[in-house]
Formats: sequence, structure tokens, C-alpha cells
Amino acid sequence: MADLANYIVHLPSDRDAMLTSMGLGSIDDLFTAIPKDLRFSRALDVPAAMSEWALDAHLRALADRNATTRTHLSFLGGGMYDHHVPAVVDAIASRGEFLTAYTPYQPEMSQGLLQALAEYQQAIGAITGLPVVNSSSYDGATALADAAWVGRQALAMKAGSGATPVVIAAATLWPQHREVLGTYMYGRGVDLADLPCEAESGRVDLAALERLLAASSPAVVLVQSPNRFGVIEHVAKISEVCRRHGAITAVSWNPLLSGLLQVPGEQGADIVCGEGQPLGIPLCAGGPTLGFLACRKDLRRHMPGRLVGKVADIYGNPAYALVHEDREQHVAREKATSNICSNQALCSVRAAIYLSLLGDTGLRRLARIIAAKTQFLADALTRIPGVRRACGAPVFNEFLVTVPRSTETLARLLDGGILGGLDGATLGRPGTILVAVTETKTRAELERMAAAFAKAVA
Amino acid sequence: MKPTLIESSRPGAGGAWVRDGEFPADAEPDLGDLPRRVTSLALPEVAEVEVVRHFTQLSSRSHGVDNGAYPLGSCTMKYNPKRHDANANLPGFRHVHPLQPESTIQGVLALLHALARHIAELTGVDEVCLQPAAGAHGELTGLLIIKKHFEKLAAKGGEKRDILLIADSAHGTNPSSASMAGFTCRIVATDASGLMDLDALARALEGGGIAGLMLTNPSTLGLFESNIARIAAMVHAKGGLLYYDGANLNALMGLVRPGDMGFDVVHINTHKTLSTPHGGGGPGAGPVGVKRFLAEHFPKPVVRLDAQGHFSLDDGMRDSIGRMKSHLGHIGVLIRAYCYILSMGPDGLREASQDAVLNANYLQHHLRGILPPAFDKHCMHECLLSGRSLPITPYSFAKRLIDLGIHPPTLVGAGCVYFPKHLHNSMLIEPTETESKASLDAIIAAFNEVNREACADSEFVNAAPHTGSTRKVPEGSKALDPRG
Repeated sequence: MADLANYIVHLPSDRDAMLTSMGLGSIDDLFTAIPKDLRFSRALDVPAAMSEWALDAHLRALADRNATTRTHLSFLGGGMYDHHVPAVVDAIASRGEFLTAYTPYQPEMSQGLLQALAEYQQAIGAITGLPVVNSSSYDGATALADAAWVGRQALAMKAGSGATPVVIAAATLWPQHREVLGTYMYGRGVDLADLPCEAESGRVDLAALERLLAASSPAVVLVQSPNRFGVIEHVAKISEVCRRHGAITAVSWNPLLSGLLQVPGEQGADIVCGEGQPLGIPLCAGGPTLGFLACRKDLRRHMPGRLVGKVADIYGNPAYALVHEDREQHVAREKATSNICSNQALCSVRAAIYLSLLGDTGLRRLARIIAAKTQFLADALTRIPGVRRACGAPVFNEFLVTVPRSTETLARLLDGGILGGLDGATLGRPGTILVAVTETKTRAELERMAAAFAKAVA
Repeated sequence: MKPTLIESSRPGAGGAWVRDGEFPADAEPDLGDLPRRVTSLALPEVAEVEVVRHFTQLSSRSHGVDNGAYPLGSCTMKYNPKRHDANANLPGFRHVHPLQPESTIQGVLALLHALARHIAELTGVDEVCLQPAAGAHGELTGLLIIKKHFEKLAAKGGEKRDILLIADSAHGTNPSSASMAGFTCRIVATDASGLMDLDALARALEGGGIAGLMLTNPSTLGLFESNIARIAAMVHAKGGLLYYDGANLNALMGLVRPGDMGFDVVHINTHKTLSTPHGGGGPGAGPVGVKRFLAEHFPKPVVRLDAQGHFSLDDGMRDSIGRMKSHLGHIGVLIRAYCYILSMGPDGLREASQDAVLNANYLQHHLRGILPPAFDKHCMHECLLSGRSLPITPYSFAKRLIDLGIHPPTLVGAGCVYFPKHLHNSMLIEPTETESKASLDAIIAAFNEVNREACADSEFVNAAPHTGSTRKVPEGSKALDPRG
């Protein structure tokens, strides 16, 4: 008898018994609907089945060809960061009851998953300061594109058939986020206007924002904080300008910033979105991560994606369920707020666990530790001759420095086992480096970076 | 309903693990004129053990493939190998930063390059991109590629094409993706045999402006679209392109390929066909394959291999639709998909699809006494059964299955499927190939048991489930909490 292939459960005798029970002689009898001339007549040209140990060895060999934040000292950021992930997050998120479940369409069988997602929505509501949270968008970039469409649809409904709302995007969004936004708006047929930043501070140019809003029809304004230079935007001032012009303010926000600052919803943001990777999600070469999205209550009808809420069971007792599904693709079809179906649910569960482990106390402490380490390294690097801060405004977890021969500097650091940061050329600022710091870096490592940096610059 | 964790909060009890001997957290950073937070945030303040117990208890109120049968039609809830999870979590993948120099991520790029080749072979296309985050994201990517293609032709004097044909049985994601890509949808009816109505298709193709047709094959009704070659010829004759929604590819691996059927653009759902875990709704991945003439429109960046064996990321493509996602895609998911293909091999993949079809037909055959097939012929990997002769509604019937440890099949309005009006009473059952004969027999016995109960005491079944943490939630329930 031939060996069973991996993950095949039927013995040949099982197949025979099943076919016989149906009055069939061969498995081929089930495929008669496929026209003969369309059938694939050879074996697939993929590698022969591997044993578990051969597969392991192959995957380890591939993994070993990558540098990581464990083999190298890394100061790379740019929207994703080398944060510590508590073991609890992995332990719970790898439980099969969560990992191998599907979307909780059957509330009676999925109360645990639904509640975990409800607690995710609650926690994101707390750190954004906005009441309606979806669970979830794909990543920070698509959440930003979602935010733009939520705002635009809300304005379009308010304006009626009159002026077409415009989307204004800060020039200091992550370049990848700006590109994804561009692709989504290309699909929707929406034009984007650019909001410049001040050269000196690195912040959004408020005077330019005034001029843009005065000249335009109703607008959604998208800003990011900290922005692509690591600079924290003054969300309260931006949203004040927007409010005066009847514009909607959407902010892409590093969730850890809520450990230090008034939450963006309280600063006047109407929509808050962001990359959720800092919330207990490993880097994993960029995905899967999490896009979080929160908005004001009156914008809920435009929200994309799943919403978990409370309903009543047949005895009137509260239960969790997916709610307000009339916005979603399986009900509204071409009129849906988005096409999203599969989302990042497991990453949302991770974020819920992570934020539960932090609490308000832990979040404050973590944000301060990161800020202190960032300040320490920024001070050390700017003591090096020729190295200075490129932007004047306050930063949180990363900063841009002007460096003679930046590309060469990074190459030399890499030779010494250090991923020194992002080349500013990719951010539209050649001659600079964006250096990110997380809580995982020790003083000795920060000092090693400073010493290596001084050598590399020289 | 279990209290939320925040109800156990004791201020100051949270985040004990956040400490740093070298950088104490007592100093306020200098943040200039930025508004500081003075109030505390509504997050749980509890000890680690309380978090572990809370979420472990929540997990016990959830049901996954690891717990039991999950014959949810259209979702392909097959077993997700633990080995593949372990490989995706290797430190050499888990701790890679997406913006590292190319020379430091050669292992990731090599894996993606090989996976793209394997998926191209599996689906019969020329080129595959792995960036899309999910099936629907793949649809949007594929449709933007079609949009870009016709815009480029239009710039050279070609016809403006912005109409997309969609089957009335299509997944809800099809029309909503079309709308996000700026297309106008035109719906094509299904005929009495459950296949696309060719006369309706011919009428829908009249008048020009046709960008293409989106089709799932096997369809959402569980049937192979036998006229596919003719359909492809009709659409191509009008200058349109054929889009393959790969949600149901699990019926076809190694047996027939979308590219060979005439499809120009194909997406697949790795969390269905390639056995990556669904994660309670995600993350998935939605690779998109195309015939060669469309590859210039792929999202940026694309993995390239040079003659020296060095992999690089090309983001300079002039006619790209642009980026669809922050970085390279769901690498952690794609690693599992890659492992699945290598674990199965060519014969294993084909056998998996054959068994998926065998299992669905086995259920269809042995349930026909209580749930006759909506279309009286062999199904593919899922069967659409009519609930018209049940003594109770399919909704109530399905809820009683929960007491018996079986996840209900897909019903109208629940999830990503949508059936034409006359099929509103139907159930879509997809057992997948990883249910053994014993498990299928148990499913059949459970369905029969519920039917007997419903005949004897419909009130009892109508009030089910009777076990578990929550009683029946009525169909179409509205949210109690205005915050939603």
C-alpha cells in the first residue's frame, strides 16, 4: 500500500467505502462536470512532498539567510519597531480556539472570540479617544486609506450633490502609506492634494493648511503623528484649523504616544487610524500586522469592516455579536463601505492582550522609557561633529539627523553589525538618517551605536 | 456574559513588567507645547496571571478547526498544520524588519520568489504577486490591474471600459471590490441548472464598455461552471478580461487550472486552499496571478532574481497600479502557504482536492433524505442543500448543531456568500478534505438527529443552543449598545 501523503486523512479503503456507498466506481465519476479538454493532464511542477524534518531544515536555511533584530543591533523604524512582545501574547494567540477559528458569524459558538475583539475595540477606543472602533483594517496604510474614504463619504453625504469633497494628505506621511493611499484613491477616482511641512520644525505648515482649506471644497485632512521625520504633530492646532473650515481631521497615530499625550480624539481628531504593530505584534518582515481605525459616533455608518457589539439573546440576556452589518460587503454588496472580509482578527486579539498587560500604568512607563532612550541616543549622536538634528520640533521614538555621507555611514554601520536606521533619501531628505529607538535597547547598546556612528561618519 | 477584564481593574496593578534599570520611567520628556495627558486611560489594570486566565477562559468559549468539525461553506476550514506555524515563527523570519537592506533579507525574498512560482504553476498563470492581505484585497488588486490595462489601451485610442459583469451568486466581495476600483457592476443571472445563464451573459455583453467578468469556479453554489471555455470566448471576443475569484480553488488543485480555463487574472485565498489558519477572521493572504501581458501593472515592489542569484525589490515599474500594502505582504502567512505546498507535493495537492470533492459529495448523498441538493448533480468541494422540507427554518436547524459540537454551515446572509433569491432557504456545506469518514458520518448522524428532534419537538430545537455560554441570538438582531 502506498504511504499516505502529509495531511491526507483517508485510507484508500475509506475512499472505496465512501464511493461504494454513493453507488460510484471511481473518484473520477465526481469530476465529469469538468470538460476533458480543460483538465490538467500532467503532475504539478512543484517539489516532491517533504518530510517534516526536511521541511524544517529547508525553512531554517532560508531563515538563516536573513539578518534580524536579534543578529544585528537595529535602529530601523519608519512605522514598524523592534518592541518587546510579552510571552503571554504568543501563548494566548497561538491557542487553536482563536488561531483556527473563522470570523465569528455564529455568536453562540464564538462568545470568547467576540469578547476578545470587543475588548480590543474598547482598548483602542481608550487610546484614540474615539468611541467607534472596527476590528480591523489590514495595516496602517490601508487603515489610512479607509480613514480617507470614511471622511470623504461623510462630507459627500452632508454636501449633497454640491461640491465634491477633496482629500488633503500631509507630505509627511510614511512614503509607503502615501503610496497605498494613492492607489486606493486611484480606484475610487478621488484626487489628492498635498499639505506641505515647515522645513525647520518638520511639522505640518498650518498657514498652508489654512490656505488650502480656504480655497477648497469640503476636505478630509490626513496627518500622521509622529510623522515621517519622527516629529510629533500638534494635533490640537491642526484640528482647530480644520474645524473652522468644516474639514474632517484624520490622524494616523502611533498608539504608544497615548502614554504621554492627550489622546488624539480629545485633541479634536474626528478619525484616528494607525499601524498597530507596536501593540504586541512581531515584525515578521512587515506582516501580518494590524491597522486600527476609530471614529466619531456619527461617522459609524461609513466605517469599513467588522464591528462587535452587544445584542440580546432570545431570553433578553446580552450577548456579543457582529453588528451593523448593513455596511458590509456580504449585505450591501456594491454599496458597501469597503470590500473587506478577512481582516486581522488574530492581530487584534494580540493587541487586546498586549494592552491588557500594559494597562494605563504600563503604557505611561513604556512611553517614558522609550522617550528617555531616544533622547539619550539623540544627544549622543548630535555630539558627533557634523551630525545634527534635522527637525526642531519634539520627537518621541525616532529622530532625523543630518549626516555627511549618510548612505556610506549606514553601509559602514551594517559592516559592524548595526542596522543604523533609514536612509533619509527614501523619505525625501537625502543626507539624513532616521534613527528609531525602542525599550529593548540597553545603555551599552546605545553607547555602542554612538561610538560606531562617530567612526562611520568620520 | 463574562465580565470584561477592565471590570477587575485595580489602578496601579498593570504593566509591572515594564521596568528598566537603566532608564527609570519617572522623568517626563520635554515635549514643548504639546498637550500632555492628565487623565488615566480606560485600560485594564491587572496582574499578568489575571490576563492569562481571562483570555484562556475566552478561548474556551471559541471554536476552531482544532476543536471540531467546521463545515462552513465557502470558507474551507481545513486543518492547519502546526509544523507550518512553527516554521513561520522561526527567529530568522519573525525578527526581520521590512525596511532592512535587500542584501540582509535574501532568505525572505527567496521564499517569496519560489512561492510565487509555485502558485503560478498551481493556477496556470505566468506571474504572481504576493502583496495582497486577503482575498478581497487580492480582488481589488486584480481589478485595479484590469483598470490600468484598459486605461493604457484607451490612451492609445482604445475603448473606455468600466463595466464589470458579476454572477448573481458571486461573493459580496466581488461587487464591492468592483465598486472600490471604480467599475460599474452588471449582474448576470444563474440558470435553472445553477450555471451562468449564457443568454443573459450575451445580453450583458451587448453595448460595449465591458472590462470583464468576475467569476468563481466552482461557483458559490458548489458547481463547476462547465461552460467556462465558452464563457471565456464570449468575454474575450468583446475585448473583456476574465477574473477568477479563487475562493473555491480547493476543489481543483492539480485537476484543472484557472489559467487554462481562460482566466486572465486570478486571486487565491491562502487561508482557504493553502491551509493557513483563519485566525478568527484573519490575517489571510490573497496572492494575485496574471497572464504575462498584465504583469507590468503589478503593485510595487516586485521581487526579482538576477543572473547572479541575487534577489532584489523592483519599485520602479512605470505602469504599476501602485502599492497595495505597507510592505511585502503577510510574510508570516505566506511562509505557511509555502510550507503547505512543500509538505503536500504534487500528488498530495491533487489528492487533497479530490478528497475535498469526495467528502462534500458524501455529505450531499447521505443527507439528501432531509436536505435535498439544490441542484441534483454532483457537487464540487461544497454542497448546496435545500432546507425547504425541514420542519423548522435552516437558521434554527443550524443553531442546534452547535449543541452537538458542529459549527453550522453557511446560511444566507451569514458571511461572505450570497445566494440568488430562490435559494434563500439553502445551506452551503463544505467539510474539506481533512475530515475523516468517521467525522463525516458523525456529521450526518448529527444532522439526522436534529431533524428527528425538530419533527418531534420543534420548540426545543427552535430554542437551541441549550449548552454553551450563550443562548440563541435571533436572526437579524440589532445592536443594543449605541456605541456599536
